[in-house]
Amino acid sequence: MDIFLQQLINGLTVGSLYALVALGYTMVYGVMKLINFAHGDLVALSAFAGLTIYVQIFGEAKSSLFLVLGVFIITALLIAVVGVLLERLAYRPLRMAPRLSAVVSALGASLVIQNAIMLIWGPNMKIFPSNLFPSTIWTVHNVVFTFTQVMIMGVSAVLMIGLYIFINKTKMGTAIRATAIDQDAAKLMGINVNRVIMIIFIIGSSLGAVAGLFIGINYRGITFDMGWMYGLNAFVAAIMGGIGNIPGAMFGGILLGLFNAMISGYISSEWAQTFTFVLLIVILIFRPTGILGETIAEKV
Amino acid sequence: MRQSYKIAILFLIVMGVFPLFSNSAWLAVGTTFLIYSVVAFSQDIILGRAGAFQMGQAVFFGLGAYTTAILNVQFGVPIIYTFIPAIIIPLILAIILAGPVIHLRGDYLLIATIGFNIIFIQVVQNNVFELTGGPNGIFGIDVVKIFGIEFMSQTAVYYMSFILLALTLWIMRNLDASKFGRAMFYINKDDIAAQSMGINVRYYKLYAFALGSAIAGAAGSMFAIQYSAVSPEAFNVVQSIMFFTIVLVGGSASLPGVLIGTFVMFVLPEIFREFATARYLVFGLAMILTMILRPRGIWPVKFGNIPNYLKKDKK
Repeated sequence: MDIFLQQLINGLTVGSLYALVALGYTMVYGVMKLINFAHGDLVALSAFAGLTIYVQIFGEAKSSLFLVLGVFIITALLIAVVGVLLERLAYRPLRMAPRLSAVVSALGASLVIQNAIMLIWGPNMKIFPSNLFPSTIWTVHNVVFTFTQVMIMGVSAVLMIGLYIFINKTKMGTAIRATAIDQDAAKLMGINVNRVIMIIFIIGSSLGAVAGLFIGINYRGITFDMGWMYGLNAFVAAIMGGIGNIPGAMFGGILLGLFNAMISGYISSEWAQTFTFVLLIVILIFRPTGILGETIAEKV
Repeated sequence: MRQSYKIAILFLIVMGVFPLFSNSAWLAVGTTFLIYSVVAFSQDIILGRAGAFQMGQAVFFGLGAYTTAILNVQFGVPIIYTFIPAIIIPLILAIILAGPVIHLRGDYLLIATIGFNIIFIQVVQNNVFELTGGPNGIFGIDVVKIFGIEFMSQTAVYYMSFILLALTLWIMRNLDASKFGRAMFYINKDDIAAQSMGINVRYYKLYAFALGSAIAGAAGSMFAIQYSAVSPEAFNVVQSIMFFTIVLVGGSASLPGVLIGTFVMFVLPEIFREFATARYLVFGLAMILTMILRPRGIWPVKFGNIPNYLKKDKK
């Protein structure tokens, strides 16, 4: 039972991170029908940029929560700019091209960002300082959870609820949903599709940036190629939930995080990826558009 | 004579005399280029012709290589007898694996096939049944012996790969002229329309998977012979992504396109080895630029697959 509760906490932590990253994938896919393969690398970039900002600007000052909040905001803004640039340079010229061309462009962009990180910060693992968050640990019935884990779950929950309200209750959110349903019709209704796509990339990239920083703070070691692994898992989570569907991405992220943690806790961590993909394939066989995905026939 | 025949024959002549003018380092690059072209063509059957988003071609390439390696090293089977299983096993596994997911729409199939690749790598790395040699792979694969003659020189391996590529080109030519090739072409253009015309979409897509995997398996076997070793990194997802990109950068369903794609994605990085660190950054930029400037690939097909009887001026 203790193992179960401990893995539940760990799973919810990882799951929240997956969900944050998965939102970036699912929003871009929903509107542009494009797998943004470079999104995972933006997450990695955020961890490196955040580390540098923290060390360079706030290095001497004593760490406080406000300071860390500042690092989060600056990094998120920076990554949002990179995300918008990515869309402008690599995806916008291909919006009318065959779909697979944009996929290749995304793979190219992923390669560019990954190698840029390697050239700037070097190929070796960088270590996050341990003093960003207080090292408080709570123990309840042999189940340990850290301040960082609580922060990850709390901040992710707040961000996801905020996003849900933004998408469903505001004018811009309505425009985003309309564009996702039918871009041409949305254009005819006076929606500025380019702006919608820009907003999507700003939101997706900054959520990914938050996840990247949390990954650095929680796991400490960051490498230039880690974006691929987190990106892939998050993308799998988005597909499990039903890609293009925002609550689906949140649900899929948590589900995958818990599943991974339980497999690691009870069976073996060596086979974690195999179980992840077996689960994905089984889900896809029975629900070809994901758990919360709508089963719509393809338009002719 | 069609343009692609001319190009194919010219290409075969150039590659046929290439060993006469090259040193051993370039001969090795040339051999791998031939083998990778075969895999790229097998990927092209599935992705470029049948239009199924396959991003796990390295699985079947690897299955062929590991079949040869395991049979030869663990069971002492002579190389020449491992060719057939190295083709049959990927073929059967392709049908078993792709069967349940073949109905998935584009991107879902893509992620499922990435999944196959990741599962394959974990199975190989975790050394299931003590056969695969774990992360180090398998060393010491024999040389090809036919009637007691050993084909062990680099040039011999080169020409074996050359024959394999020539056979592949011959299969591609026959495919283009057959019922199967035409069905795949229609499915790729519009699978719903193809289905309403009475084409069994599922059957032909699986057929493409089976054929493509069998060819990739043969290439894998040759790859194992060339390096006389196999290891998991040679067949990971990055390799699959490379084969996927080769077809799209070169031009789907285009013979010169796939060859150019293989050259650009595999031989150019070898030439620019000196700029080791910045090379992939430039490479990624080049991928983006190619797609923006030539969205259908460097050398796209021009009406290439439209059968003659549909053309206005049939001669």
